[in-house]
Amino acid sequence: MKHQRREFLKLMGVGGAFTLLPISIARGAAPTSIEDRAHYISASAGDHDDFYVSAFNANGKILFEQALPGRGHDLGLRPNHVDVAAVERRPGLYGLILDRHSGEVRAKLHCPKDRRFYGHAVYSDDGRFLYITENDFDHARGVVSVWDAEDGYRRIAEFDSFGTGPHELHLMPDGESLVIANGGLHTHPDFDGRTALNIDSMEPNLSIIDRHTGKLIHQAALKADWHQLSIRHLDVAPNGTIAAGFQYQGELTDQVPLVGLWQPGSEIRPIEAPDNVQLRMRQYCGSVRFDASGQVFGISCPRGGLITFWDVKTSDFLTHIAAPDGCGLAATDVAGQFVGTSGLGNGWRMDAIRRNRVELPDDSLKSLHWDNHLRRISI
Amino acid sequence: MPFLCRTRKAALLGATALLTVGLAPPGARADIPDENYRPVLEHLLGVVMPPKLDALHDATANLSDEIDDFCAEPDQDGLDEVREDFHAAMDVWQEVQPWRMGPMVANGRDQHIEYWPDKHGTATRQFRKLMFDKPAIYTDREKIAETSAALQGFPALEQVLFDDKLSPKLLDDDEDGVFLCGYGGAIGANLERMTGELVDEWPAFAQGMMEAGPDSMDYPDAKFAATDLYRALHEGLLIIVSQKLGRPLGDGPKDGKASRAESPTSKRSLRNITHNLTGLFAIYDGKWGDTGEEGKGLSALIDSSLLDRSFRLNWQTMADALDKLPPSIVELLDQPDGYQKLADFAGQVSFVNTLVEGDVGGTTQLGGGFNALDGD
Repeated sequence: MKHQRREFLKLMGVGGAFTLLPISIARGAAPTSIEDRAHYISASAGDHDDFYVSAFNANGKILFEQALPGRGHDLGLRPNHVDVAAVERRPGLYGLILDRHSGEVRAKLHCPKDRRFYGHAVYSDDGRFLYITENDFDHARGVVSVWDAEDGYRRIAEFDSFGTGPHELHLMPDGESLVIANGGLHTHPDFDGRTALNIDSMEPNLSIIDRHTGKLIHQAALKADWHQLSIRHLDVAPNGTIAAGFQYQGELTDQVPLVGLWQPGSEIRPIEAPDNVQLRMRQYCGSVRFDASGQVFGISCPRGGLITFWDVKTSDFLTHIAAPDGCGLAATDVAGQFVGTSGLGNGWRMDAIRRNRVELPDDSLKSLHWDNHLRRISI
Repeated sequence: MPFLCRTRKAALLGATALLTVGLAPPGARADIPDENYRPVLEHLLGVVMPPKLDALHDATANLSDEIDDFCAEPDQDGLDEVREDFHAAMDVWQEVQPWRMGPMVANGRDQHIEYWPDKHGTATRQFRKLMFDKPAIYTDREKIAETSAALQGFPALEQVLFDDKLSPKLLDDDEDGVFLCGYGGAIGANLERMTGELVDEWPAFAQGMMEAGPDSMDYPDAKFAATDLYRALHEGLLIIVSQKLGRPLGDGPKDGKASRAESPTSKRSLRNITHNLTGLFAIYDGKWGDTGEEGKGLSALIDSSLLDRSFRLNWQTMADALDKLPPSIVELLDQPDGYQKLADFAGQVSFVNTLVEGDVGGTTQLGGGFNALDGD
């Protein structure tokens, strides 16, 4: 039955508007606290190479599934608007603008033929401009494209990302600059678009650019010994502190940090968990997310099945909570509290301060594999 | 009859590929009940591993005692005996080494016991300085634990006991000889202490895994806990291919270098791998020498006897190939076709690891999930 439903969604195609559960019905059963009214939205997948953007409520009840033409990755939420940008994961060709309440497709973005989308997008605070990381693969150069949401999502500019293989990007708290994680990995569609071609010479960095002019404002890299630490994911605290998660391209047994904190203008400060946790992070971080207070951040480690939590003030490891295949991570409105999702179909509410994990009660969540990133929508 | 045996063997070796092709997609296969993983955990963590850790502790304690006895009256026979005790302790350590979890890695313990690979030549550089300065901390049986990991475990002791220039000094009653004996004794005592900590800390760690359940923040179910054992098997083979064989193989025949291997000075680089394979196969099989019971490791979760037999046969083929090689990569690479033999063996280990990833990981359902296998 579930499978039939997905087939039907596929037949509807990406241009179709389809809501499995009308939002009004979901709201009708909704309790009253702020968190209970929150919705979560993420890229997801079925068992048969079928891909979606899906939303669920605070209990884990799926609200809609919108079929995608290929595997998604992260979502960009347009402030004060229904638009959600879903950009295909690398090497991506499509971008869709969806209605966050129904999944209805509102616009389509097409990647230029000599570029590939890299899965992440973010809007300006006023919601007018959408910024997407892309690969200029023939020149091994990362770029950030700019799309005007008020002009039918027309691609209006392209900036240098000041590195290779740009991945996640975020707006800085000043609203005027963007921080970009340049993962350092060069890929090319002629070689499947995902295989790294420059492991020996990769040079990842974090760069901050002016979102209006594209001018480089700050840049930092890890020390040369750690050049194989691909800086892929990040989040920004309200005070401008940047937390970053790394993915190591070297040996399993190499002892390298997997997490870094950056105050723009200074060096990236690498931080580590105790050895037995560090090992279980398996040299790979998935998502990075600050909590509601901006004092704690979580980093998911799907290869190790852990979510790790860190104190931004002291740069200390706080704790970890097991989350098999857990990767998606979003902060609730409570300090230290997160919702996480897994590729196995689980959803949890996790408290980093009390070291507590509670499974979301609605089983409908389990019908999908939840992808890399999770976003929270306050209703 | 031999022909029949060969035919049967070939059929079994080929069965893996057929079975792999014939396996239903993961989504269509019934989940293995979580309770099925629990006996595997109990057997491997509670029955199999503890006696091996005891054996490691006993071997290092014996090594430490023998170094002290030797240093009381140094002579060549005594040195030969200590070297044998070193080999005995290393044999057990190499069996235990791939079980990279919990107390094995806590506080960098595995690296303190054996700092390897030493990519930047830290040990060589520090060792040279050490022999020049002879700091007292390195002969202090307690404080040596506070020194560099590169200078307090098996590789450092290997230099003391086997290095052509250093080890003869052990027989001398001069400043160098006295220092080296004191240093060797301190390393021996340090190894005994660290392996004793392993013995002490293992039961609580194992209990945590065996009691996996929804209330545990470390292991929410038995399957997740068993994943760590699968990973140890998979990563253990990866480390053999990429590091223990990959480093001496280098980028090609002209780049081959035995000194990049593990334990080149004591000429036991491949002997180490023989013992690694023993410890790794125990994870699959459930029997480890006199300890444990066949069929109670991860293989208990495999419901196809053909696939199980095929995997065992492929493993045995790999182990047999290793038995035909000398224990030392130094010696092997001195042979005209030594590099090719080493490269061939690396290929065999690599092949077995594809079986671990595909057959064992798939059939036991421990091989990783959607994000773990293909994240971004």
